[in-house]
Amino acid sequence: MNKTVSALSLFAILLFAAGCSKHDPVIRIGVSAPFTGDQASVGLTILRGTQLAVDQANAQGDVLPGYKIELVQIDDSHSPTQAVAAAKKFVSDPEVIGVVGHLNSSCTKPAAQIYHNARVAQITPASTNPEISKQGFDTFFRVCATDDLQGPKAAQFAFNELGARKVFIIDDKTTYGKGLSDEFAKAFIAQGGQVLGHQGITQGDKDFTPLLTKIRPMSPDLIFFGGLYPECSLIIKQARDLNIKAPVMGGDGIYDVTLIRLATPSASEGTYATMIGADVKALPQAQEFVKAYETKFGDVGSYSAYSYDAANILIQAIKLAGAPDREKVIQILKDGRTFPGILGQTEFDDRGDTKNKIVSVFRVRNGQWEHVRTV
Amino acid sequence: MIKKQGLGSGVQGPGRKYLFFWPLAFGLFLILPLIDHSAYHQDVLVTAGIYILLALGLNMIVGYAGLLNLGYAAFFGIGAYTCAGLNLAWHIPFWLALPVAVVVTGFFGFLVGLPVLRVKGDYLAIVTLGFGEIVRIVFNNLDPITGGPNGLLGIEHPVIFYPVFNPSLIWKRFDFGVSSFPYYYLVFFCVILVAYFSLRLDRSRIGRAWIAVREDEVAAGCMGIPVPQVKLLAFGVGSSIAGIAGSIFAAKQGTITPDSFDFILSVMILAMVVLGGMGSVPGVILGGLVLSILPELLREFSIYRMLIFGLVMILMMIFRPQGFLGNVRRKYELTTR
Amino acid sequence: MELFVQQLINGLTIGTIYALIALGYTMVYGIIQLINFAHGEVFMVGAYIGLTAITFFGFVSGSTLPMAMLYLAVMLLISMAGSGLLGIVIDQIAYRPIRNSPRLVALISAIGVSFVLQNAVMLIYGPQDQGVPQIVPDIHFIFGDVTITLMQIMILAVSLVLMVFLNFLVQHTQLGRAMRATSQDHKMARLVGINVNWIISLTFFIGSAMAAVGGVLFGLYYHTVNFHDGYLAGLKAFTAAVLGGIGNIPGAMVGGVLIGLAEGLGAGYISSEWKNVFAFVILVLILLFKPTGLFGERVADRA
Repeated sequence: MNKTVSALSLFAILLFAAGCSKHDPVIRIGVSAPFTGDQASVGLTILRGTQLAVDQANAQGDVLPGYKIELVQIDDSHSPTQAVAAAKKFVSDPEVIGVVGHLNSSCTKPAAQIYHNARVAQITPASTNPEISKQGFDTFFRVCATDDLQGPKAAQFAFNELGARKVFIIDDKTTYGKGLSDEFAKAFIAQGGQVLGHQGITQGDKDFTPLLTKIRPMSPDLIFFGGLYPECSLIIKQARDLNIKAPVMGGDGIYDVTLIRLATPSASEGTYATMIGADVKALPQAQEFVKAYETKFGDVGSYSAYSYDAANILIQAIKLAGAPDREKVIQILKDGRTFPGILGQTEFDDRGDTKNKIVSVFRVRNGQWEHVRTV
Repeated sequence: MIKKQGLGSGVQGPGRKYLFFWPLAFGLFLILPLIDHSAYHQDVLVTAGIYILLALGLNMIVGYAGLLNLGYAAFFGIGAYTCAGLNLAWHIPFWLALPVAVVVTGFFGFLVGLPVLRVKGDYLAIVTLGFGEIVRIVFNNLDPITGGPNGLLGIEHPVIFYPVFNPSLIWKRFDFGVSSFPYYYLVFFCVILVAYFSLRLDRSRIGRAWIAVREDEVAAGCMGIPVPQVKLLAFGVGSSIAGIAGSIFAAKQGTITPDSFDFILSVMILAMVVLGGMGSVPGVILGGLVLSILPELLREFSIYRMLIFGLVMILMMIFRPQGFLGNVRRKYELTTR
Repeated sequence: MELFVQQLINGLTIGTIYALIALGYTMVYGIIQLINFAHGEVFMVGAYIGLTAITFFGFVSGSTLPMAMLYLAVMLLISMAGSGLLGIVIDQIAYRPIRNSPRLVALISAIGVSFVLQNAVMLIYGPQDQGVPQIVPDIHFIFGDVTITLMQIMILAVSLVLMVFLNFLVQHTQLGRAMRATSQDHKMARLVGINVNWIISLTFFIGSAMAAVGGVLFGLYYHTVNFHDGYLAGLKAFTAAVLGGIGNIPGAMVGGVLIGLAEGLGAGYISSEWKNVFAFVILVLILLFKPTGLFGERVADRA
């Protein structure tokens, strides 16, 4: 029992100790996305983009007189529950002025409520579900376009440019994947196309051959996938192994160099992806970023540029606010100002969505993502 | 020694020396949120409290009745989804949804317990594991009801009304909201209640029957204990505790998703029970506290967190296989053999 | 009909991989009545060791069939040796010290090991999926509407050979007899001069090596490996072991194939969303009607 007493008191002390932090004047920016688990690879592009922005800002001197910026990272493991917990942890630290996060729409949506209640600005670099900004939270901002833009654009491209008439749709049932593929299906049918079927898969699964075997006799012109690249690369590879020739198309979630490596260059040849915004590598103003990012972390990933811009917008807003004041930062972001970034000028509308709404289509060609056109 | 093995006698004796400890711990945790205002600490402790509730419930099944259950998270999930579903579909307030969730969870516990009549030992463990996975996948795929992988959003927080004389009687409304403070006391109260219930149960006729079945089913049967009913009861009662925890979890989070109720959680709760000391209520509480606070403390180690956590688990088992506080009764049994 | 045959082939391929993993679960259980929860991670580590080996030897895609076979053999042998040793080390560190404690204690320790392995791999290789180079040439055999790849044939062939070999080892050799004796009664086995600890280590070695083969084939089949892969594959393989009757080696093989087929046919004919549920539903049903699995007999009945 004595051991119980000592163990209990030890834990109490540790718990208190863990909460104590050093008291240099510091401005904290939170970043949250899945950093572990099966989507860590996507989440880490957000961490790295944000990290680069913060490091560069600090290298240029104090953001505000006497203040440096510190990045606080919390892993949400793409679980909405953990995202809410992460949000609570951010808002309970008064030095956290704003948050870059989260990756998954399913996480961003419930977390937005916590940020709103605590009056902390949140900029998501990646959650594209349109419903999130309709919740009416003035603390919510996003630098990427939404799926009700991306889905229809993808459908138009598939129908007009690719000449697809019959598609089979697969999604991963998440807010993002299902939202995107629903928008795609709606627009594709409106164009006069035919949806042969719409099936869900489970995120993290590896074997999609049973589903693809079922799809094969329907001989679709195109397979549309709403989800992220780890599953998509397997779908592509397994479709080719089953001798299915139809190209695969997806949204921003599959636009990642890793997809080509995982699905093998030969199998992924001719895969299409829509991407919100322009081609980062082709943008003249982004070249410096691309170089800095590649020297530090390697290949530019899906959301590296978005999170870099999101973090920079937050830093600019803090500078404009002139003080580490949460409310002032929100007001400045809401103000209708334009923030320059590597993806172009970002200006938020009343819902917090960016007005910079471009969708580009990319295609895998010779083992590389190649920009096809901006639609 | 044989005398001490008499049912119920061993539990009281050794506690006397530490008469002051439990009131002290009780007092400390009672006033803790008043001293420590950190929302983060309170949140961690609320989560810890929910885990402790789960561990106490599982302890009845595994610790008392000796039935290995590897799908306990499913009952937590059923509780949470029942409470959330009632609230979202018919705006049933938390306080009414909670007892319904407890009954529903208990009923499912009963249902899953039915195979105990046929399946034994490790096979039973696997049936429960299978059930746990099935439940999680059903939550994940039954989109119209459970919201699929995105879960249920916008669950109302509990609300209470309290009287104020100002100068006449007015009922004021207090919404629990998103801050952890009110939940802390809700969970604290529930933990005390369930712990007390567990202790009483341990010394009751049913508790003794469970332990008899655990130790020797055949002998227990011969002594006139209705073995199947007693086992089913353990499943039902133990599972219904998860209904309490699930309801609080749903109400506090405001959003629930299937991935919160995965196999890893079942395993973690089992680890709390084993680490604390199977069958020992104080031990299980301590185990729950340690295993839910430890990963938070290890956050400092960022990506090394779970690696260290795993190592700590192995080391704890190697150096203290009987758990922090092994059940006193069990200890006597082991020494007399 | 062609569709059915195709689904059958799909299910059989993944089923044999489950069977390979299930062998380790069942062998370890048979000998020390431990549900070795870390076994799924050993499978995953096996896949990574294979990948590392092939990267080390600088494999170039598109070589001839004999060269591909050589590479595959090298990959398998290194991975089997590495994972086998890992299995022994896990036993020595995490299970042996608590051999005489209640069985649940070892279960918790096994879960600790599984956390450690998963996170160690994540830290070493990074969290992203790792691409596995295409070693087996990408050849498709097309019979009407049925396609079978060379890789699938390799998986079936390698698994079959290993299972026949293992069955021979356990049933018809001195060593196998010692293993069977140990699994029946440690004390008696010791009395007749069997080095029980050595046999346990050997069991861990063989079981882990089998999982490693499964891991390598899994990686080559899907072209990707992830530190997360051990969890679900392990869980299903474990289900397979129980389905066949835990502790029973042929049972594990049959169980694995059954689970694979159930998944393949279920996902193909009913719904891909519910793919992961079929394995568990079949498990629960079979256990209800045959409470000791298909071929199982004895099992420890205390937690």
